[in-house]
Order: sequence, then C-alpha cells, then structure tokens
Amino acid sequence: MIKATTREKIAGYLFILPLLVYVGVFLIAPAVMSLFFSMTQWNMRTQPIWIGIENYKELVFNHVKYPYFGHSFWITIKYVLMAVPMGIGSGFCLALLINSVKREKTESFFKVAFYLPVITSSVAVAAIWKWIYDSRYGLLNIFLTKLGFEGQNWLGDARTALFALAVLAMWGCGVTMIIYLAGLKGISPQFYEAAKIDGASALASFWYITLPLLRPVTFFLIVTNVIASFQVFEIIYVLYGAGGGSYGGPNNSTLTYIMYLYNHAFRYGEMGLACAMSFILFILILILTILQFKILPQSYD
Amino acid sequence: MILLLVIIMVGPFVWMVSTSFKKSSDVFTEAPNLLPISKNTGKLYFTVENFKIVLKYGEISKAFINSILVATSATILNLLINSLAAFGFARLNFPGKNIIFMILLSTMMIPFYATLIPMLYITKLLGMYNSLAGLVIPMCASVFNVFLMKQFFQTIPQEMEDAACIDGCSRFGVYWRIILPLSKPVLTVVGITTFIWHWNSYTWPLVLINDPKHYTLPLQLALLVSGSGSRYNYMMAAATMAVVPILIVFIVFQRYLIQGIVLSGLKG
Repeated sequence: MIKATTREKIAGYLFILPLLVYVGVFLIAPAVMSLFFSMTQWNMRTQPIWIGIENYKELVFNHVKYPYFGHSFWITIKYVLMAVPMGIGSGFCLALLINSVKREKTESFFKVAFYLPVITSSVAVAAIWKWIYDSRYGLLNIFLTKLGFEGQNWLGDARTALFALAVLAMWGCGVTMIIYLAGLKGISPQFYEAAKIDGASALASFWYITLPLLRPVTFFLIVTNVIASFQVFEIIYVLYGAGGGSYGGPNNSTLTYIMYLYNHAFRYGEMGLACAMSFILFILILILTILQFKILPQSYD
Repeated sequence: MILLLVIIMVGPFVWMVSTSFKKSSDVFTEAPNLLPISKNTGKLYFTVENFKIVLKYGEISKAFINSILVATSATILNLLINSLAAFGFARLNFPGKNIIFMILLSTMMIPFYATLIPMLYITKLLGMYNSLAGLVIPMCASVFNVFLMKQFFQTIPQEMEDAACIDGCSRFGVYWRIILPLSKPVLTVVGITTFIWHWNSYTWPLVLINDPKHYTLPLQLALLVSGSGSRYNYMMAAATMAVVPILIVFIVFQRYLIQGIVLSGLKG
C-alpha cells in the first residue's frame, strides 16, 4: 500500500468528522452518562445527587418501594418465550412456502405481502389490532362465535392480554422470513440430488439436510429476536398507556421491562433509577451479543 | 393453507382500508362486510367523510406535514453524513482508520432504550427540546448505514477514480462526481429505509415533543387510538393515511429493499 500523504490524512479525517461528532455526542456520551446518572438521584431538572449503587440495591431488594421490578422482568420473559418461538416458527413456514414457489412473480408478491407488517408503524399496528381484537365487534370474536367458540375480551383480560400481544410479533415476522429464505436459497441443490439418488424421501432430506444446515441461521435469529422482543414497548404503550390508562394493562399483566422503565422515568421523574434500569438492560443485551459472537462460526458473516 | 396465511398477513390491511371508507352506522355489524356496504340498502359505497373529519378535527393534516418535514430532512442528512464517512473509510488512508471503524461498529450494540434518557438530556442542553430539529439532529446518522455504504463503495474499481483524477480533481470531487453517481442502489436503500424509520418513529417524538403543534403522525394517531373509544372508522382512516404512503414506496422499490433487508438482518 502506498504511504498516505499528509493531505490525504487530513482529508480522511475531514470526511469522517461529521459522523464522529454525531456518534460522540449522541451515542457514546449518552452511554457513559447513563452509567453516571444511574448512581444518582435525579429528575432531569435539578442537580443530580450522588448515591452510589443505591438505585440498583433498591430496585432488586426493596420490594415495598419497587414492587413491580421483578414482576416486569417476569412478564418480559413470558412475552419473549411466547413471541420468539411464534415469530421464528411462522417466519420459517413462510420462507418454506415462498421457497417452494417456482414462478418469480408469485414469489416476489408473497415476499412483499408478508413483509408489509414490518414496515408499518407500531402505532398503526396497535390501531389495526385494537379493532380486530375488539371484544364486541372485532373481527376475531365474530369469527370465533361463528365457529361456535366463545369470544374473549382479548386485550382487556389479564389472562389473554400478553398472549394477544405476542401474536402481533408473529404478524411482524417478515425479517425472519427473508433471512430464512436467504438461508434456504444458500443450500446447494447438490445435497438434495445426492440424497435423492440414495433414495431419501422428501421428509428425510428436509430433516437431515435442510434443518441442520439452517442451524446457524436459526441461532442467529433466536438471539436477535430475543434482544428485540425484550425491548417491546411501543405497541403496549399505545394500547395501554397513551390515554392515561392503567399503564400496565389489565392487572399489570402487560407491564414489561421497558414499560416499567418508562413509568419511572417519565411519570414519576425518577431519572436516576430509570438509568439504572437502562444500564441493567444494556449489560443483558451485551451478554447476549457476546454469546452470539462466541458460538456462531466466524465463516458465517 | 397458503390462502389462510395470506389472509392472516394481508387481511388486516384490507380490513383497515375498508373500515376507513365505512359510515359509522356500518362499522358495527354482526356479520362483518369486507367492503363498505350499506346496512339498509345493501349498496356498495365509499365515503371519504372519515378522512375529512380526522384531517379537520384530528389535527392529522398538521401532523402529516410535520412527519414529511422530519423524515425528509433526516433522510437527506443521513445520506450526506453517512456517505461522507463511508467514503473516508472505503477510499482514503489515515492513521487509526481501522481502530476507529471497529469502535464505531461496536456502538451498534448499544440498545436505543439504554441511552434514551441521557440522549434526551443532551438534546435539551442543545436547546432542541420540543422542536422538530430535536427529532432530526439526534437521529441524523447511522453507523450501520455507513457500514452498508462502505461495503458498496469498495466494490467500485479504483481505475474509475484514477481515470477521472488524471485531469486533477480534488478528493471531494471524486466523492461527489464519481462515487456518489455510481452508488445509486445503496443510496436508494439507505434513503428509503431511513425515511420509513423516521416516518414510523414513535418513542423519540413521544418523550421529546409536548406541544401538539409539533406532533408527528404516529403521535397524533396514538392519541386517536387511545382516546376515541370505539370510533374505529376514524381510527382506521388515520391509520390508512399513516400506512399507505409507506406501503406504496416500499412496493415500488421492493427489488432494492429486499436485498438490503438480508444484509441488515445479518448484521443485526
């Protein structure tokens, strides 16, 4: 490589300067400040007061003052356990369906149609499904009644609310579908031909070729989906919080982690405490990300 | 089976659009009609009354303009800042380049909600609280898009650049006259995904804006969703206005975008 001239060096720094300023001011500085503020009592209007790790201790151990910290964690985990398998499962089925289509026009039609929910704003998603889930005139209940089942108050009942929300994750499985599809297209047809010559059935080659070869993709999708679902917030906020509602859904059954964080930051003004919750979130996601890099083979990049 | 899947995935959109054209009296029926059909006469009709009402009383028109302003200016800034940096990383040599790039990539791991509160604080300090600028500036670049553009710029052969520079042109000239015109595919992907992201963005406007005159479309729509009880025809009219423009953009450019999704998905 030719040695860089001084002019080139200066030009290089000038080109990346705007980005560096942006990242410094709006990404790195907030990350550092988040750690600092998490050790203070602060409401964003007055000076922060240093209290050490008191916020973390209170959150975890003081069940009288923060009764829902553990609860919100548990709700979020329940949500993740429902939403991730449903999202990945339906994304996989859709990918298989599209992959079996031979005509290119039909294929791209399906791709676009199934991807549309992903590019729809979460507020609009909340609006559409509020209507579908409506307990009296909603499409779902009318349909169920026709089939002879009893309609439910899906979003208003503590037993069904979280599940009804997790179903929305299934509706938004377009990204998973596209990535699975890329994975399916990446499998060399030679494998299937060889299996056919050896007399393997379609089911056997699916089980012994397709599934094992997609394992890295599946692992990657599980990690990214867990990270995303763990931070579920907007739809739940629109459905339960925006109108000054109960903020946690029926009987606090949809009080997820970010929802709880939001409540403390923007309703009770406990910014320091909310920063402590942010930092815990950051560490959790960091662990998941590192895990992913450690386990995934490097070739898959 | 296939039909069922298509119905589940696309049906809600059809239902949204059809409800938005219905009169209040035909929204609540025991047997749902896929099309706006009058309960009394059994005739098919389309009323734009719902759209008129939400535009007039729901402040949706103001929010629509705000959303277009914010999303457009954020997209332009993103394209500019990201492509400048990507050009620097892809085409120029300077000390510390690789380390700086690694640090930038590692910032992608920081979750948005983890920095939300200090970001709000900094935006306040910069005097942009409760303003449209505050919606744009703190979101005016994206490390991931720099990565995407850098990958693309690296595929443009060096000879193109050399040939142009025999006549002597500046580094900025190379970027502006040679690299950018050759990079339309990647600029399209980044431009459209950024626009869609800003158009749909909800949490950041929610915490930043408290003056209704600066409300963006998602904020205004959320008010309708939580406030209107069961005026579903108005709600769906507003939702249609928020969703349909994006759907059209997406369908027109889908060929480019699907490629971008695969990449962005893989990088997380």
